[in-house]
Amino acid sequence: MADDKDVLRDVWFGRIPTCFTLYQDEITEREAEPFYLLLPRMSYLTLVTDKVKKHFLKVMKAEDIEEMWFDFEGTSLKWHYPIGLLFDLHASNTALPWSITVHFKNFPERDLLHCPSNSVIEAHFMSSIKEADALKHKSQVINDMQKKDHKQLWMGLQNDKFDQFWAMNRKLMEYPTEEGGFRYIPFRIYLTMSDRPFIQKLFRPISPDGHTHTLGDLLKEVYPVAIPNDDESKRYQVVIHGIEPLLETPLQWLSEHLSHPDNFLHISVIPVPSD
Amino acid sequence: MSSCFLDEETFCQCCQLLLQHSHSLCDGWSWEQVKGSEGYLRKTALGTGRTRCILDQQGNSSDQHQERTFSLSFHNDEDDEDDGAVCCIQEESSSSSVVQYEYHILYSCSYQTPVLYFRASTLEGRSLCLEEVWDSVHPNYRQRLQHRPWDTITQQEHPLLGQSFFVLHPCRTEEFMMPVLKAALEEHRQVNYIVTWLSVVGPVVGLDVPLSYCTQVPEPPHTPSSSPQPPSSSPQPPSSSPQPPSSSPQPPSSSPQPPSSSPQPPSSSPQPPSSSPQPPALGTKPG
Repeated sequence: MADDKDVLRDVWFGRIPTCFTLYQDEITEREAEPFYLLLPRMSYLTLVTDKVKKHFLKVMKAEDIEEMWFDFEGTSLKWHYPIGLLFDLHASNTALPWSITVHFKNFPERDLLHCPSNSVIEAHFMSSIKEADALKHKSQVINDMQKKDHKQLWMGLQNDKFDQFWAMNRKLMEYPTEEGGFRYIPFRIYLTMSDRPFIQKLFRPISPDGHTHTLGDLLKEVYPVAIPNDDESKRYQVVIHGIEPLLETPLQWLSEHLSHPDNFLHISVIPVPSD
Repeated sequence: MSSCFLDEETFCQCCQLLLQHSHSLCDGWSWEQVKGSEGYLRKTALGTGRTRCILDQQGNSSDQHQERTFSLSFHNDEDDEDDGAVCCIQEESSSSSVVQYEYHILYSCSYQTPVLYFRASTLEGRSLCLEEVWDSVHPNYRQRLQHRPWDTITQQEHPLLGQSFFVLHPCRTEEFMMPVLKAALEEHRQVNYIVTWLSVVGPVVGLDVPLSYCTQVPEPPHTPSSSPQPPSSSPQPPSSSPQPPSSSPQPPSSSPQPPSSSPQPPSSSPQPPSSSPQPPALGTKPG
């Protein structure tokens, strides 16, 4: 049987082959070739696409360059969502490589957050970790860490260093034995067919009478639409890191092993493909 | 040690009471609800802010369009991450101008506090960037924001609308709310959590809270089930407290009912499904 630690590695090293194409209306001095890259599921678009920018800068004039942003089939991609989540949510059932369009103009102000430097990504990442710990441990673990420990979490993500990251992150995955799990599970359920970007609520991993809550329990409580009734065929896929975990999987286990580095379980609910 | 967490139901009740007073003042607050989800308070207002404008060769200024990227590291002392930020600022000046603000008050279940979201745009409809918002913060408050990284203003996704807003980070709310709530407890005074909280954070981002809110808006009534602590430690409303007027005209709901009791996914209350003890509405919290 696979060791649980192997799961952590598999999740960390997940990659998505991607093809970046320049938007046709961008002004270029010569034709822009597409650029191919393996994107880490764990990371954030603006953190790992410096090469993409440099590639297209070669064929563009400086005055035609503003902040880079991306879209997939007309949907602007939120850099502050983990890459793996963006793929699962928007491109799960499309052919690889994932085809992303690159823009340097007409930044969609209402829909996208600006990302002028890596400090912004770091602040966002640490903010998510802090929020997750508020849910798991009333912020006690994250507040007990020193600034250099926080930095280690960020550097581990930025430099793709699994051991460096987990040396610190394991503390955020601990809980008092008598509790049986975290206080609340940090999760977000993302929907494609709703104006609302995600659902996030308080949910305990263990009920007061000691019953272990599963993924199915969570969905039944906060988004029952995702679970078909007995007589219905399945209409939705519930995807985490590109897979559909069994609904019987304990939520506590999912939180410890399938969370993103920001310590959140990012769950996509997408329609089952019709063909 | 008492802490001051706010559960979602009390949040809604406090908001409704604030809303009633707002209606009486024509102060512009409304309650919004995204279909099938939680509600929030909303208000738009005109204010002043410092916006950028480009100077052309004749020295005439025009409303600046987003034409450059820039490096922002307000809250990061180790400014080592400037890579990737192109900085080609055109000649421009910053001036005081009229700004359209939109404020939302949402509930954060992670921090069990309210959170203030806002966005700002010029009268021509151009969204202000973070730097301009920063410049618009009154100098009195700027120092406080700079010294404490987690109190800073950042751009975030609105959790119900999915659009870009600016946010005052909520994780230190407890620090300034606790002394106020504690004092109110000891002095048997009524405190509406939202009014008190807003009067602290609002002015930082240009939102004024008229004094009558603090004197006229009551605390929501406490139900026995929400105060599992011994009576001496839970706030008792004094018998002479002003009751919410039951006859005042108010859309959307008639009395301090949490509006979230209207159509919701299965769990009609925001409490976790089968857990007890519940955190009390206000005041002390089980250890």
